[in-house]
Amino acid sequence: MDTLAHLASGFAAALSPAYLAYAFAGCVMGTLIGVLPGLGPAAGTAILIPLTFKLDATGAIIMLAAIYYGAMYGGTITSVLINVPGEAASVITCLDGHQMAKQGRAGTALGIAAIGSFIGGLVATLALALIAPPLARFALKFGPPEFFALMLFGLCLVSGLAGRSLAGAGLMTALGLLISMIGIDPVRGAPRFAFGIADLYDGLGLVPVVMGLFGVAEILITAEQPLREVVRARLERLLPSRDEWRRAWGAIWRGTGIGFALGLVPGIGAIVPTFVAYVAEKRLSKTPEEFGRGAIEGVAAPETANNAYANAAMVPFLTLGIPSSPTIAVLMGAFIINGLTPGPFLFQERPDLVWAVIASFFVGNAILLVLNLPLVGLWAKILHVPFRYLAVGVLLFCLVGAYSLQQSVFDVWVMIASGMFGYLLRKLGLPLAPLLLGLILGPAIEKSLRTSLEMSGGDFTIFVTRPLCLGLLIAAAAVLAGAALKLAPRELRAA
Amino acid sequence: MSLQSASHRVVERAVLVCLSAVFAAAAGIAYTYSLKDDLGPGAGFFPFWLAVIGGVLALFLLAQSWRGRNIGDDGEAQWPDRPGAFRAAALLAGLILSALLLEPAGFRITAFFVTGALLVALGVRRPVVIAAFALVASFGLFHVFYHWLKVPLPVGPFGL
Repeated sequence: MDTLAHLASGFAAALSPAYLAYAFAGCVMGTLIGVLPGLGPAAGTAILIPLTFKLDATGAIIMLAAIYYGAMYGGTITSVLINVPGEAASVITCLDGHQMAKQGRAGTALGIAAIGSFIGGLVATLALALIAPPLARFALKFGPPEFFALMLFGLCLVSGLAGRSLAGAGLMTALGLLISMIGIDPVRGAPRFAFGIADLYDGLGLVPVVMGLFGVAEILITAEQPLREVVRARLERLLPSRDEWRRAWGAIWRGTGIGFALGLVPGIGAIVPTFVAYVAEKRLSKTPEEFGRGAIEGVAAPETANNAYANAAMVPFLTLGIPSSPTIAVLMGAFIINGLTPGPFLFQERPDLVWAVIASFFVGNAILLVLNLPLVGLWAKILHVPFRYLAVGVLLFCLVGAYSLQQSVFDVWVMIASGMFGYLLRKLGLPLAPLLLGLILGPAIEKSLRTSLEMSGGDFTIFVTRPLCLGLLIAAAAVLAGAALKLAPRELRAA
Repeated sequence: MSLQSASHRVVERAVLVCLSAVFAAAAGIAYTYSLKDDLGPGAGFFPFWLAVIGGVLALFLLAQSWRGRNIGDDGEAQWPDRPGAFRAAALLAGLILSALLLEPAGFRITAFFVTGALLVALGVRRPVVIAAFALVASFGLFHVFYHWLKVPLPVGPFGL
């Protein structure tokens, strides 16, 4: 009952003209980011943070969240039309989506993707509204040791699942955590690693680092590659035929279930649910040979799973403060900039904000459907914007964003250095997600570790004498052991 | 071993050596903060152990690299050809130039000239297009952020 009342008040806020306008603008910009080659959701969300500087916290989060799920959908358009995924989660959509475009069914592919995304997003948000409050209430029982163990568990999940090298992911996590130590010690108040530089007393700014690691690095990498030609696909018919509906309907619901379930697991990433949904459909299909040749289920299932995942990933984020993906980590940065800490206390301290944001997910999903079905032709035209104009525009946006937060050129240099470092890391195949997560969670994880040890007088057994804490630590160890076992055969083969 | 993979290994090892040095320095500096004080762990406790763990992992990966193994995923391991490298370097140089000019010259002048120069470097040859795009990107963006969004951006000589 409480949930319904909160949700109703959330809808009242989310449907106010200002928040509706922010959600609409976010959906438009997000879709644009997804459509434009060379900009993923994480980079796009980071680049657009400056647009929200003057908004109130609720408006800023509503807009950035809309950018996030708008970008998740926008990536589909490039997958279908030019066989280039706008973001990683749309890779699998290329297989059947582009084949459908080649057969003159691009409109239907984009239409079913929009409808599937809408259903997946809506159901996942409904489940989020039901699951999040009890989970947040449960997490309120956590003390500093449990929070430390929980954050460690989140870091292990993201590191364990981040890439093919556990040591590489661990290295990036340690580096992110270490960078977050720059500035004033959160417990004693003394400066650390500041070297007498006043700009370092507040630590490295999250926005410039994120813009550099994701925005600048991504533009540099895209600039290196020759761009492909856009297929002039026909987009006359957007709604599927009756037979296509029949085939896609089950795929949409299965995609929703898979996307939502996997979205609850931090660190899974957006690619896994789409692949699982695709493979599940292929296994269940009576005509598996049609997959890869333009099967509509091959578009409906992964696209639905993608959006269900995007909304479900908000559950661990809003209730436990664990970002599941780089984009949600960027979103977490926006929360922190606005003086908010995602986690169970947020439901108590700012229920107005939490429920307005959750309600805005419903509204945003509806806006996306309205935007994407009739305007798909317009999005396709935007694909023709030459990369050179796009790259220069994005870099100017990064410049404004990095500078304007504190009116500091130092932050611009931090962004440039982060961009060069991010470029190198991507070339070496080292994952950026654990680095970013370490950077964001560092202060909180250190504070909970030190507070726990102060509670116990320096006795480390405090972490194993509390059942919940012990359970989380065992789970963290199991994740790392599982990842190591999974990677071991590859290492042995390489030896 | 191809030239590409040989260069890749050099960069890989250089990055790992630098990271090892950073972690070693961080451990040394963290050690000078107190590892333990009256209330429990001191300011140096967490960064010291992080630096130790990071240093060990960096050295482990360095050893892996020397044994010819990949240290990460190989998705974007391909290094650019000359035109690709030029485009990326031009964009980076534009960004560095912007950082240098931003406060002395102001946002509008900086963005106008850097945008124009970058478009030329990236192969745009029509002066009208370059001028129009540079005007919109500098004066237009300034107007949107400074006047509409109230985001302060530096103003240069002559109030530009």
